[in-house]
Amino acid sequence: MIASAAHRRLAGQGMTLAGLLLLACLASLLWGAGDVGAERALAVLMGHGDDEARFVVGTLRGSRTLVGLAVGMALGVAGALLQAVSRNPLAEPGLLGVSAGSAFAVAIALLLGTSAATLRVGVAQLGALLGCLCVLGVARFRGLGHDPVRLVLAGAAFSGLLAALTTLLLLFDQRAADEIRFWVVGSLSGRQLADLLAILPSFAVAAAITLLIARPLAALALGERLAAGLGHHPGRVRLLAILVVALLVGGATAIAGPIAFVGLVVPFAARALAGPDIRRSLWLCLLLGPLMVLVADVISRRVVAPSELPLGVLTALCGAPVLVAVVRRRRLPML
Amino acid sequence: MTLLVQSSPRLDRVETEDAVASPRGTRRLAWGGFSVLLDRRSLAANLLLLVLVLAASLAYLCFGERTLSPAEVLAALHGTGDGLSTFLVSALRLPRLGAALATGAAFALAGCLMQTLAANRLATPGIIGIDNGATAFAVASVVGLGFGLAPPAMALAGAATATTLTFGLVLGGGTRGYRFIVAGIGVGAVFGAITNLLLARVAIDVANAAYPWTVGSLSARPEGAVWALTIGLALGLPAALALGRSLSLMGFSVSVARSLGSRLGRRRAQVLITSVALTALAVAVAGPVGMVGLLGPELARHLASRRSVPVLASALAGALIMVLADLVGRLMLSPLEIPVGIVTAVVGGPWLLWILIRPRSQGVA
Repeated sequence: MIASAAHRRLAGQGMTLAGLLLLACLASLLWGAGDVGAERALAVLMGHGDDEARFVVGTLRGSRTLVGLAVGMALGVAGALLQAVSRNPLAEPGLLGVSAGSAFAVAIALLLGTSAATLRVGVAQLGALLGCLCVLGVARFRGLGHDPVRLVLAGAAFSGLLAALTTLLLLFDQRAADEIRFWVVGSLSGRQLADLLAILPSFAVAAAITLLIARPLAALALGERLAAGLGHHPGRVRLLAILVVALLVGGATAIAGPIAFVGLVVPFAARALAGPDIRRSLWLCLLLGPLMVLVADVISRRVVAPSELPLGVLTALCGAPVLVAVVRRRRLPML
Repeated sequence: MTLLVQSSPRLDRVETEDAVASPRGTRRLAWGGFSVLLDRRSLAANLLLLVLVLAASLAYLCFGERTLSPAEVLAALHGTGDGLSTFLVSALRLPRLGAALATGAAFALAGCLMQTLAANRLATPGIIGIDNGATAFAVASVVGLGFGLAPPAMALAGAATATTLTFGLVLGGGTRGYRFIVAGIGVGAVFGAITNLLLARVAIDVANAAYPWTVGSLSARPEGAVWALTIGLALGLPAALALGRSLSLMGFSVSVARSLGSRLGRRRAQVLITSVALTALAVAVAGPVGMVGLLGPELARHLASRRSVPVLASALAGALIMVLADLVGRLMLSPLEIPVGIVTAVVGGPWLLWILIRPRSQGVA
């Protein structure tokens, strides 16, 4: 009875969020930085409208909205998984250096002369995996896992180091610098459907693995021994989850650049709504992630129109206060 | 380091029964009613750092796109060199050297003061967001949103704002733990985002011109900012040296420091203001090269004695690091120039990581 009440509440929250997400998608199609206004865009959606507006809404804003949906889902879910694996409410792919790892890998690849979009995705995912293993490996080895705040500090230091190295690499090569300059701050502008298609297969694999490990992860939240006693393999689950995080964050970074704080804010809100069980909060992450990214993207197009703001700026502006709020709590909840 | 020994109680172990005997490793120089306690190790450390700074400065003047011999440099400094070398040394390299020395000393001094004040080894202005606050406000001034204030004044306002935010957010939580640092990182992230926001609003050429400065570079060096920093350093360094004794007391608990006769509240305010002002003025010249604020005091602590807070040694070490980092940045990819902030970040990042993951938890001083 209790379970069904909780389910009903979750369904209600899910419906509300889905509605909001639809509104965000609509807003993303209607408003842009250019001079195709909401009325002309609405005409296109109704089935008429001029060619220019049709191109802007259908091709530019349409693919951008789809990319935003994918990136938001990936970052939100990756944040939730990383927090579950490290049992640390502050673990966030951007803060811990996973995004910086994949950006660094892409910079190296660009420097070595590659340019193909598909290769970039693989490289970014490999970099994300290495960054993830580095931080979490050091955390386990040195016992940093017991101190959530200290792990974030180490991650931030690691992240800053990688960002400086990326900048240094870009100084070597002007062509790579021009290609990467707008990518490295995180943005959705000018992304095409082809970019999205390149990352979809890996996202599908990530989704399949996530469905497999959701139950063991929920058991892992009870403690390693208890999870093992329930018949799960904590080591294997953890490794799979890290792999998923790398696939998702690497893919999202390859297409949109490193975007911080989404993976912190979204799971935080999802847990506040759905409680600590990851099997429930993951569903909400799937809706909240794209909601946050799309809203931030629409705002980023409007505030400095006709130019655009990097998306990472807006996510940092609303994510950093959440970080401070979490840290300020006297007792940090252990996940 | 010198300590004024007056009638207040000494913290050091006294070796003999004689009340005025100097502790081990120090020498007492007395005249009249006053005496000065010289710590031999700190004295040696300061002398060593001074020699190193002079050597690094000479190297800084010698090397560049066109390498000059030390003799040529000295001749140019005396005004007896040929036209080209005189131009290179006195018009190009000397002003930049001066800016490097001043910003390095200011960053490291501010870092040392803030670490001591917060009793936290990680609490340097660069890490807890003060650099970013100063940068954001200074950029606002550059892009014309500064209410008519010059960049140094705006940097001061920004540093004060960021400091108020960071300290306000942990009110009651204390500054010793890691939470204070993470709160500062959050504040820094917000101001970093604001800097990017401001740069996105202006024309691309203005943004490109401001870019090296936002990662820390000595190539721009606004004239007024250099003068403001020089004045700030001329006031701040003596102030910090005069505060030396109170600084040593800040490592103890509040009650111990009070019972030893320190007016803790007032001293803390003085230390905080000095640190924040020095940071802001240095940022106005060179942008956020915050790593120097971490590395300088680290180096100074390794060299100088533990008896007192190494104020002077920190400033010297910071100047040394800044000069060397900028020299490396100028030479490594010549004719391209690596911003000095990138060089210090690449060197300082691993060091910061090492402090954090070191086996025994020594991260918090």
